[in-house]
Amino acid sequence: MAERYSRFNLSDRFEHWVQVVSFTVLALTGLVQKWPELGLTDTIINWLGGIETTRLIHHVAAAVLLLAVVYHVGTAGYRLYVLRQGKLMYPNMKDAWAAVHAVGYNLGLRQEPPKEGHFTFAEKAEYWSIIWGTGVMAVTGFMMWNPIATTALLPGQFIPAAKAAHGGEAILAVLAIVIWHVYHVHIKSFNRSMFNGSLTRHEMAEEHGRELALIDAGQSEVSRPAVGAIEKRRKMFMPVYALIAIVLLGGVYLFLTFEQTAIVTIMPPEQVQIYQPVTTTLP
Amino acid sequence: MSPVIMGGEQFGERMNRRVGWIVGLLVIGGVVVASGATPSSATQDVPSDLATSVQAAVSTGIHPNVIATDNNTCFACHTRTGLTYELPSGESIPATIDEDRWLVSEHGQKQMACVQCHSGISQYPHETNIATDLRSFVVDESKVCVRCHEEQATMVSDSVHAQARAGGNQNAATCSDCHDPHYAVNPPISRMEVPATCRECHSGIYDLYEQSVHGEALTTGNTEVPTCTDCHGVHEIQGPDNSPFRLFSPEICASCHADKDLMGKYGISTNVFNTYVSDFHGTTVLLFEKYAPDQQTDKPVCIDCHGVHDIIQPDDPRSSVFEGNLLATCQRCHPDADANFPTAWLGHYEPDPHKWPLVYYVTLFYKILIPTVIGAMLLFVLLDVFGKLRRRRQHG
Repeated sequence: MAERYSRFNLSDRFEHWVQVVSFTVLALTGLVQKWPELGLTDTIINWLGGIETTRLIHHVAAAVLLLAVVYHVGTAGYRLYVLRQGKLMYPNMKDAWAAVHAVGYNLGLRQEPPKEGHFTFAEKAEYWSIIWGTGVMAVTGFMMWNPIATTALLPGQFIPAAKAAHGGEAILAVLAIVIWHVYHVHIKSFNRSMFNGSLTRHEMAEEHGRELALIDAGQSEVSRPAVGAIEKRRKMFMPVYALIAIVLLGGVYLFLTFEQTAIVTIMPPEQVQIYQPVTTTLP
Repeated sequence: MSPVIMGGEQFGERMNRRVGWIVGLLVIGGVVVASGATPSSATQDVPSDLATSVQAAVSTGIHPNVIATDNNTCFACHTRTGLTYELPSGESIPATIDEDRWLVSEHGQKQMACVQCHSGISQYPHETNIATDLRSFVVDESKVCVRCHEEQATMVSDSVHAQARAGGNQNAATCSDCHDPHYAVNPPISRMEVPATCRECHSGIYDLYEQSVHGEALTTGNTEVPTCTDCHGVHEIQGPDNSPFRLFSPEICASCHADKDLMGKYGISTNVFNTYVSDFHGTTVLLFEKYAPDQQTDKPVCIDCHGVHDIIQPDDPRSSVFEGNLLATCQRCHPDADANFPTAWLGHYEPDPHKWPLVYYVTLFYKILIPTVIGAMLLFVLLDVFGKLRRRRQHG
């Protein structure tokens, strides 16, 4: 059996697929609200059971995504603080040069493709885009979900501004996934590491040449801390994260239940007795 | 109490004048005098052989298109002033016809025979098996209109009035409440006359309408403004409770307020509908119209904020959407809202750098960011595809 190089553990893959499902549901149920007049919207909203159900599904998917964020704060924090692997995901000049190099290679100006580390510049760009995008969507989503709370602090205009940002960011995110992610992970070559967690040596050579060379030399992009140090930091991290997670989960709960924005009954727009026979004649 | 023909001194007590004119013909139809009798002679005494003559006349069959009994026969009695007919309820039916006005009316000009409508009368003294009270009598009499006015009657059958009557509400309007069958001319009710016609039963609503921007304009002679029937329909009249009327009401408002030519005359923006639909409330209403037209949404339509019959200009301090009143209007559905909340709604304005700059610049930011980022991504991906193809060609 060919040698395999571990990329994503079960927890990473779980995060990824939760993200995939919630993102897809959010995009589907959100874009139909952005373009209610489109023909395709007809089919989707009918299929989902009406606009109110569509909004409910959107909100449920948002809650799932927020829970995934809370979880990711844990896994990212663990990598950052306990394993000291932050460097793997931080963008740096090598990434910028790798991008320029790749363009040069595609234009025939360079003979070899760039050799990249554990995460390619394309992967880092996508990761940080998702961090940015999720942040924008969560903040603007909260504002639209809780307009009374928002306008208690901010001018009313922030609500339609949030709506504009939410819609714009949605288009950006969906197009980025369709173009950038789908191309790099599925079309260029089909990357199965989110299914089985690893890449083959050939795939590693193609995508992560610099990392493969380091592995072959018995080195690593980040120096692995001593086991004792990891254990010490782990003991510190876990209770702190537990606390952070409780606060964040409380935040998610508040996010979902912060306010009762509107009454749910239909107010009669006018109070007038309908049948009131005339008693006087018109002048 | 048996129905009797009474003298003039008892005529007209607290009687709905219109109803009186309508129903008068009932009695006329039966007063058939012997052939050759003149109206002038009949006004004094009812000929003794009248009953027999009536039987002879109607035996040929009374049908909308068969004029079996000459109107002069009826007018012989029914042009007498103060003629009434007493019902078991104690109410009186005014039974006098103004022949001059009848002759110039639409039905009169078409030489309709009294008995074409009053077909229940075939003898003298007239049949007594008519309604026991005045309202039932009016409702019953209007049932004959369908014979000639089938199209209108079909529309009426879907109306809020027909539904109310089917539900047992005898007050619900029937044909003759709006259209005087004896004296109506063509067109039956002019635009100027519509609100006054509806006022007969809906005076409370009329009082609100009269003060509204639309009502005020109509009373000063501007017939471009909506009257009752423009929003509610004519014969197929819809009310807010019985139909998707509320849900689709923005379309009614838009039929004038999105009309550039019409609104241009008054300097009113036609963006009101677009801006409504592009906002959360309007989008929801639009989606309900498309996917659940039989259901109500709790999201507001135009009238929920602007008012219904009493609608006035938004810059009038009495308006529910006047700046100072807006919070109270929002609070009807958003009870916890406070001072900043109303500006979350952009007041039908398109965001621009002066009005709603934040919304404008956020929108602009994404208008630049999306094509820039996506363009760069596309360019990079296409270059990669291009490079792959080029290398494949070079290396086989």
